[in-house]
Amino acid sequence: MTNVSKDALVQELVSIVGKEWVVTEREYMLSYLQDETPEPVRPKAANNLILVKPSSTGEVSKILRAANQARVPVFPVGGRTGLVSACVPTIPGIILSLERMKKLEVDRENLMVVAEAGVTLGDLLRACDEAGLFFPPHPGDEGAQVGGLIATNAGGVRAVKYGVMRNYVKGVEVVLASGKVLNLGGKLIKDNAGYSLLHLVIGSEGTLCVITKAIIKLHPKSEHSVTIIVPFSGRHEALQAVQKILLSGVVPLAIEYVEPDEVNLSAAHLNEKWPVQVGGAQLFIILNAESEEELLVSCEKVSGVCSEIGAGEPVLAETREEQDRVLRIRSNIYTALKPQLIDILDVTVPPSKLGDLMDAVEEIAEKYGVHLPVYGHAGDGNLHVHVMKEEGKAPDYVAKVKSEIYETGIRLGGVITGEHGVGAIRTQELTKATDEAELNLMQGIKKLFDPNNILNPGKVIT
Amino acid sequence: MSKGLKIVVLVKQVPDIEKVRFDYEKGRLDRSSAEAVINPFDLNALEAAAQIKEKIGGVVTAVSMGPEQAKDALRDALARGADEAVLLSDLRFAGADTLATSYTLSCAVRKLGAFDLIICGEKTIDGDTAQVGPEVAEFLGIPHVAYVDEILDISIAEITVKSRLDGDNYVVKMRFPGLITVTKDANVPRLPTLKDKLRSRKAEITVWGMKDLACLDEKQFFGLQGSPTGVAKVFAPTSGKKKGQIVMGTPEEKARRIAEILLKLGASQ
Repeated sequence: MTNVSKDALVQELVSIVGKEWVVTEREYMLSYLQDETPEPVRPKAANNLILVKPSSTGEVSKILRAANQARVPVFPVGGRTGLVSACVPTIPGIILSLERMKKLEVDRENLMVVAEAGVTLGDLLRACDEAGLFFPPHPGDEGAQVGGLIATNAGGVRAVKYGVMRNYVKGVEVVLASGKVLNLGGKLIKDNAGYSLLHLVIGSEGTLCVITKAIIKLHPKSEHSVTIIVPFSGRHEALQAVQKILLSGVVPLAIEYVEPDEVNLSAAHLNEKWPVQVGGAQLFIILNAESEEELLVSCEKVSGVCSEIGAGEPVLAETREEQDRVLRIRSNIYTALKPQLIDILDVTVPPSKLGDLMDAVEEIAEKYGVHLPVYGHAGDGNLHVHVMKEEGKAPDYVAKVKSEIYETGIRLGGVITGEHGVGAIRTQELTKATDEAELNLMQGIKKLFDPNNILNPGKVIT
Repeated sequence: MSKGLKIVVLVKQVPDIEKVRFDYEKGRLDRSSAEAVINPFDLNALEAAAQIKEKIGGVVTAVSMGPEQAKDALRDALARGADEAVLLSDLRFAGADTLATSYTLSCAVRKLGAFDLIICGEKTIDGDTAQVGPEVAEFLGIPHVAYVDEILDISIAEITVKSRLDGDNYVVKMRFPGLITVTKDANVPRLPTLKDKLRSRKAEITVWGMKDLACLDEKQFFGLQGSPTGVAKVFAPTSGKKKGQIVMGTPEEKARRIAEILLKLGASQ
């Protein structure tokens, strides 16, 4: 802490939010000190932290003004479901949790929802569903909060048809480091008034300002959806099918690539059974439509394309319960692998280059004699490569393996991260992979927004 | 005659219980408030039938009682392993309680001819009574085992199952013809293949009304007329307040005190 004593700061925070919403004892803030980043790459949280939970934008503003004057770092946190430690307080300062800010209002006329930052993804999905509307992005953990979803530009499995968080945020209310409250964008489909600060804020991982409220675009709810699982003899066939499906005119919500070992491990972890036990590689495809007929026509089209490549017979999960079950198994591959995981990579390439990326990953695995489990959002070119422990320890080749995978991704026209972000653990890689002029612009922007570097210091750019 | 067993699976179309609303005034589910799905326990019954068919061969017939739209549940059954499907649909079947439902279903099973095994889900999620399966067995005069959570062995003549009742496991061997009701633990229902799904959409579904069941002289047993029970009132139960008591002292003192309390409670029952 700088400028003021911790006691004085605590007193000031108490005067803003009330005594019960300021926590100084470490044992009561343990869950705020980490996210879902695998333990071997997760940075340690600093000592000397204060956790504060405001209930309104006004309180957030006062907290930031006080922190800025005292030059105290502020770490905004959401549901702590991230995978790159973007919210981990790595130096002494204030942890700012917006979990009490949970107001939510669905605007059916404009097909939008206004949600405060602490609204969870689960609450948002339920509210939209009850209103007969649909919020497509689904990054997995429904404990994620709106503020975090926007700050990390979350992606997930439904991006093929509907895009990522950026495609849904039409406006935000933010608090600048100075305490000034700004409204960017609005309930607008078109907005060309000057540079888009809104889109700078989306994906800024808490380094530019604190998001307190958002206007999010919705879709009418599709009445019918189905998940089909298609087995292929191997990876090449599966990836070939992805291209053909995307060209067929059918636009799935998701095309996920899974391999039997990982998906069976996840099923066992959940005490479930994966419904397809054939094929060396499988595609998990979610389709939606206005009628069952339309949906089945799409299924037949997808199946036709896949069978031309020699795919096995697809199976269908049609009921909500069955679809939820298979999606839950798919979404828990990460959780099942986590105890043995060193790092989960998130390299993303143009969809047509995914096969090349996977070939390269296989070559790297062979070169170092390791198993690198992969699965990913095949329709988006977004591959999650897992670097695993060996006999419970991190092997010495880890840095080399990661670096070679990153280099391959960039060589193929991709980026080091497609959805997880940079956070605290990919800053060096970002620096390495980004043009100096671009980095300078990023640093300049950071300085303009946050001249005293109090907002999430040490994250994204250093 | 085909090889293997002749199996009948009884299925019901129910509202999606997570979405359905309750009409407190009428004391009934508002079935129009949610989409209809096949009763989830019936999927376990169909899976059990499909596994038996794979193991020793046979023919699986799905039977359901309901309005025209219950054909969707039967099509689902066809996609998941049933070979043929019969819908019992007649306005005079409407308003049936479990007794009239069981009676109607048993008439249909009789009309189907000789059978070896009837499989039902342990209960339906809209009624939750778990009565229809055993009542069908009683009407047909055949043995039944309810709450089967594992099929241990099956042959052309008999089945050995594990049934869980009141926390105890029973291993029961039953000669055919007989009826079992299966729990969620009995198996993991398979997902239908696209091919089977498409085939089921075009499949012929036999529809039988009252006149087809050859029981016209017994029409007082069908539908509302044949239902001795009805719902008088529906309410959410209120749980009684728990009375906690902390017993202090040495282990011996605590044991003695607890025994005294229990004895006193027992005496007052």
